[in-house]
Parts: sequence; C-alpha cells; structure tokens
Amino acid sequence: MDAIAANRSQLAAALARVAAGDRAALRIVYQDTSAKLFGVCLRILNDRGEAEDVLQDVYVTVWRKAGSFDPARASPITWLVAIARNRAIDRLRASAASRRSEPIESAEDVRDDAPAALELVVAAEQRERLKTCLGELEERHSAVIRSAFLDGVTYEQLAQRMEVPLGTMKSWIRRGLMKLRTCLER
Amino acid sequence: MSETDHSDTPEGGDPIVAGEFVLGVIEASERSTVAQRIEREPEFASEIAFWEERLGSFADEVKPVAPPEAAWSRIEAAIAAPVRSPALAFGSLWQNLFFWRIVGLGSSGLATACLIALAYFGTVAAPERAPLLATLGQQGGQPGFVAAIGSGGSLVIVPASLLTANQKSMELWLIPTGTQARPRSLGLIAPSQPVRITVPPNLVPFVTPDASLAVSLEEPGGSRTGAPSNDIIAVGKLTNL
Repeated sequence: MDAIAANRSQLAAALARVAAGDRAALRIVYQDTSAKLFGVCLRILNDRGEAEDVLQDVYVTVWRKAGSFDPARASPITWLVAIARNRAIDRLRASAASRRSEPIESAEDVRDDAPAALELVVAAEQRERLKTCLGELEERHSAVIRSAFLDGVTYEQLAQRMEVPLGTMKSWIRRGLMKLRTCLER
Repeated sequence: MSETDHSDTPEGGDPIVAGEFVLGVIEASERSTVAQRIEREPEFASEIAFWEERLGSFADEVKPVAPPEAAWSRIEAAIAAPVRSPALAFGSLWQNLFFWRIVGLGSSGLATACLIALAYFGTVAAPERAPLLATLGQQGGQPGFVAAIGSGGSLVIVPASLLTANQKSMELWLIPTGTQARPRSLGLIAPSQPVRITVPPNLVPFVTPDASLAVSLEEPGGSRTGAPSNDIIAVGKLTNL
C-alpha cells in the first residue's frame, strides 16, 4: 500500500470511529485535515475570522454526519473538502453581497505556516484523469471551471471578472461541464 | 447550446445542475433549492457525489494553512458532552441548590429550576447583560426544563421535572427566529442533572428574544443528520427576564 492509500484508509477508519461517537478520532481527523480545509475556506472567504467560524462549523458537521460518509463512493479528503467548500460558499453568499471585489490573487498572500506533516493529495490517478479531461476543453472553459471551484464565485462574478456577458459565462461553464462529464466517465 | 445561455435549466439536465452546484456558481436562492433536492433524491445525490469526487482534485492546488490553536478548543466545546455537576464551578452554593432541587422536585420543581438557573448567572456571570430565560414545556404543558442564556453565550439548562431518556440521547436545539430558521444543535444534555453549555460563537447572534429552545430524543451520541428527530419532547421561547 502506498503512502496516499495508507493515509486514505487511516482517515476513513478515523471517520468510522467518529461516526461511533469517538471524540479522540475527531481530533485525529482534525489534526490530519484542518490545515487543508482551513486553506480551502480561506481561499473562498479571504477572511481569517470568517474562515475560522466556518472551520468550526465544518468539524461539528463532520462530528454529526460522519455516519453518512461512504468510503465506497468518496475518498475521505474529497468528502471533507466538499463539506468545507459548501459551508464556505454558503457563508460567502450569506455575507453582505460581494464584499469581495478584489482579485483572487490576494488570497495568495496569506501566511503559509502549515505543518507539512501529512500530504493530503487525492489519488494521483484521479488527479491525472481530471487534468487530462480539462486538457480536452477549450482553455477558457477549463480556466473558469477551475476558478469557480477554487474561489467559490458565482456566474455573475465570473462574468464580471472575465468581462463577458452572463449568458456567455453560463454557456462556457455548462459546455465545459458536459464535456468534462463525458470524459471523466470514460 | 448556443454561445450565450440565459436559461436557468441547463441543457444537460441534472448532471449539469449538480455540476453547477458543486462548482458553487449559482446564487444563494438556487443553492438552497438544490440542497433540498440532495436530501430528497438519491439519484441526484449521486450526481453531486460524482462531481465532488472528480473535481475534488482541484483542492490539491490549495496551500494548507494552519488554523489558530484556539480553533480546536472551540470545536471541542461545541461537541462537548454534558458537564457533570461537580465541574460546574458553583462551589458550595451549587451543592446546596442541587440538594434543594432534589427535595423540591415533588412540589415546586419549576421554581427551584429557575432559582438554579438564575443563581448561575448571579454568581458566575455578573458582568453580562441580563440573561434570556426559557421554560421548555412538554406535551401536556408540564414544564420539562428551564434554561438561561447569557449574552456571551453561556447557557445553563436545568430539568424541572423527572425525565428519562431510556436508551436515547437528549439533544438541545436553538431555533432562530425568521423564516429560514433551521434548528441548530447546542449539544447533548442530561435528563437528570443541570448542564452548562457554551453556545458556539457563530450561533450567539441567533440567541435573541423569541428564538426558541427545544429538546429532542436522538439515537445515542446525538443527531447524525444535523437536524432534530421528530421526537421533540420539550420546547419553549426565550424571553427577557
């Protein structure tokens, strides 16, 4: 078993223990994943305080919903990332309309003091697959899809950012998703 | 599909709706509609899972950032088990009140529970504004619990009558005012003893007069869905003292 697969099954086992109400296991999940999830929240919210609130919400959700994690359907880290992104995006939408107008690159400035303890990469195979499929899209389509995922921005905001009409942006992303899906399913 | 697309229902149907949700490009109102479908429609939930899993690799690009030390303690507090009475820093006053409560249950459990809840704020949380108080009535109108919450989010909930939970856990919920008020868990409580809980900071703004507290019976360990079961055993509104 390689290191990533070992991490994955270790994390899946910890989540199973969390589902059984084991607080120590939640601590393990937190230690292994909080820097990644905090990074994800921070990238979307671009505000440390908000990201901290959401991070708390995320692990409380993990505590309550660990039983719904299905290792056959999702890898532990993508499941956790999905929860973090959903919470962060909900928070972003709820907070005063588009407080954030500066370009996303400002998020790169955040202090990077994460422990390098655990590599939380998803299976290399899966990452390569996404890369290959994105490569089959028109470049602008794959660029906005990537940007949407990482920054949690709306169609409207993406359209403004790229200076194209809203309808065009919808078309780019929807076409991109349709092609992507066909490719990812292969 | 044309070069511009103004429709709200994309050509590719559910797989694309799911993809849009996972990407996060849709507006808040649509998001909640789609989120409800995920709960109700297993097939649609599979579409969501497909995208979450496949697009998840994008997150590899995000640099990990260590959260502040305090973040974990907040999480720990939010999921904390009921605090047993010796841990409540009431000192000897507490011991006396606890004794009185046992004595008083037969005749005036409610009054005693109020006394305990208020004594807590009188002795421990003097600098705070006056606490909000709720009497959580059971079916049939019998008071089940009395709770008091200080403005800082410290909450104490005291059983006002003898309750049993059998094999179930009792979970306390905050139900904010307003139309989008989904109940938010405040943690597990004990059927037979007072419990002190710190309301998570992100929920403190929802602690307002006319918000409600409710207690539900859940499987051991608490609700796994994030929502209370249908078995609500007591509910009451928060009011100003």
